[in-house]
This record gives sequence, C-alpha cells and structure tokens, in this order.
Amino acid sequence: MAKQRIPGSDADSPDRWEAQLRKGALEMAALASLWRGRRYGLEIIRFLEAHSQLALAEGTIYPILNRLKMEGQLTSEWVEAEAGHPRKYYELTSAGRQRLRQMAEAWVNFSGGLTHLLQPVLNEREAIQ
Amino acid sequence: MNPDVQIDHYLTVLRLHLGPLTIREREEIVREITAHVRDSAEEPGASVEGVLGRLGTPEELAAQYRDGLLISRARHSVSPIVLLRATFRIATKGIAGIVVFFLALFGYAVGGGLVLTALVKPILPGNTGAWVQDGHFVTSGVLFPPPPPPAHEILGMSYILIALVIGSLTLLFTTWAIRKFLGVSQRVQSKL
Repeated sequence: MAKQRIPGSDADSPDRWEAQLRKGALEMAALASLWRGRRYGLEIIRFLEAHSQLALAEGTIYPILNRLKMEGQLTSEWVEAEAGHPRKYYELTSAGRQRLRQMAEAWVNFSGGLTHLLQPVLNEREAIQ
Repeated sequence: MNPDVQIDHYLTVLRLHLGPLTIREREEIVREITAHVRDSAEEPGASVEGVLGRLGTPEELAAQYRDGLLISRARHSVSPIVLLRATFRIATKGIAGIVVFFLALFGYAVGGGLVLTALVKPILPGNTGAWVQDGHFVTSGVLFPPPPPPAHEILGMSYILIALVIGSLTLLFTTWAIRKFLGVSQRVQSKL
C-alpha cells in the first residue's frame, strides 16, 4: 500500500473512505506509540511512520494528543533537550493504558471478523493474479 | 522568503485562528508546534517549506484543535450554548449531526417554552393554562385571547407545577441526549 497524505477528495470516493479509516485508527495508534514509554510529538510521528501505514499530514497528530490529554488519557511534561529548546513529552496515564487495552481487544476482534468476511474477495483476487 | 519569516508567519496565522481558546492553551500549542518545526527542519534533507507543508495549513491545524477542545468541553458542560455550538459544529460534517442539532433546538425550545409559560401563569392567569372542551384537549400555553367557552381551563394554578416539571425534564433530557451523542461522536472523530 502506497503511503500518501490524506487527500481532500469527494465524499464516497475510495480515497476518502481510506482516509477516514486511517484517521479513525490514529487515536489508538498515538496511544500505542507511548506504550513503552514517553515520547514527544515528532518522535511519535516518526515512530508511526516506521511501524504502521498511518501516513498522515503531520499536523493531525498534535490536536489528537491535545484532546487525549484533556480526557486524562495522557499527561505531558516539558523537558529541556540538547537541541536547545524544550520538548513536550507525552506519557500514558493508567486510564490511557486501560483504554488502549480495551481498544486493542476491540480492534483484534473487529479486524479478525472482517478479514474472515473478506477472505473470498481476497482469494478471488489472488486467483486472478 | 526567509525561513524565519515563513515560520513566524505560520505561527501568527495559527495563533490568530486559535482565538476561542484560552491564552494558556494557545501559547502551549504554539510552543509545541514551534518545537516541532525546529526539530523537523534539522532533520537531514529537510526544508522549512517542506516541514510547514506537511503540517497542513495553519487554518486547518487550528480548526482541528478547536473541534477537539469544543467537543471535550461540551461533554462536561450543561450550558445550552456550549452544547448547541458543539452539535452545530458536528452538523456541518454530516447528516447525523444535522438531525441531532435540530432535535436539540426543538428540545430546548419546548422545555424552555414550558418553563416560561409556568412563570407567566401568575401574571396572566386567564391567558395561561390547558384548555379542554367536551372531554377533549383543545390547546395549552399562553394565548391571546384564551379559547372561548365552552372550552375551559382545567389545571388552574397547578399548571405552574406541571409545566415546570415537564419543562425541566425536557431540558434535562435534551442536555443528557446531546452529551451522550457527543460522547459517541468523540469515538468516531473521523467525522471531524
């Protein structure tokens, strides 16, 4: 799957559907990127690029982090860095860890069911190829 | 354009469009985006232009912050203005939002209207109430002139209590329903 930024395309187009799918998963992905410890915004973006297909406009992640913090799923702290300016590090709260566990479980059930449903479609495609 | 001027311009427009937020929230966001731009621009092969382009326009970025904060606040609010603003924002994004927005307006109008008629009853006792004729309900509210006989008002001063209770329950239910909806739509933020 080619990485691409969300296009501002028409409703109902496959591009838009895929864009919404990615955007919907981004909240879970942002939480997951903090599972092993704190990171700052750009680190989260680079981590998601390296470990998922979620290529988005980079700005999209910051409002999501802000909202997750307001909801008490993350905390943040400004830390002085060698770069000469402080960076805002995010960390999961226990509520955030709990929420991510629920999301992961729901995601696995959901995607497992859908993959099963789509198996005939995928098999047919392989046969054509 | 000089890279520093480009960054300054971006941050100025961002700050401008974050207007509805508190100064503290706004400055925190600007500080974080500034750190992002500086760090990204130092990556190998990066240019300030490219970094700002990948962030999206400052107007878009600010709009995403505003939507998130508006809905987060509204979920914990009982203010009809905050709740209606949040539903209106969602109404601009899809049919479910439009339906909820108009139901919310309807709920507030009916509930608020009933409470108002309860307050008017002591001032205009003859014009306010619920009228029946031949055992059938005719109309209710504040009427000029009141329905002529043989229709007659049946509740008297107990209208005040009944209208207050039903009106308040309608307002409470409307508030509860909007917050419920915002809670659900929070999880389907792909709409925003």
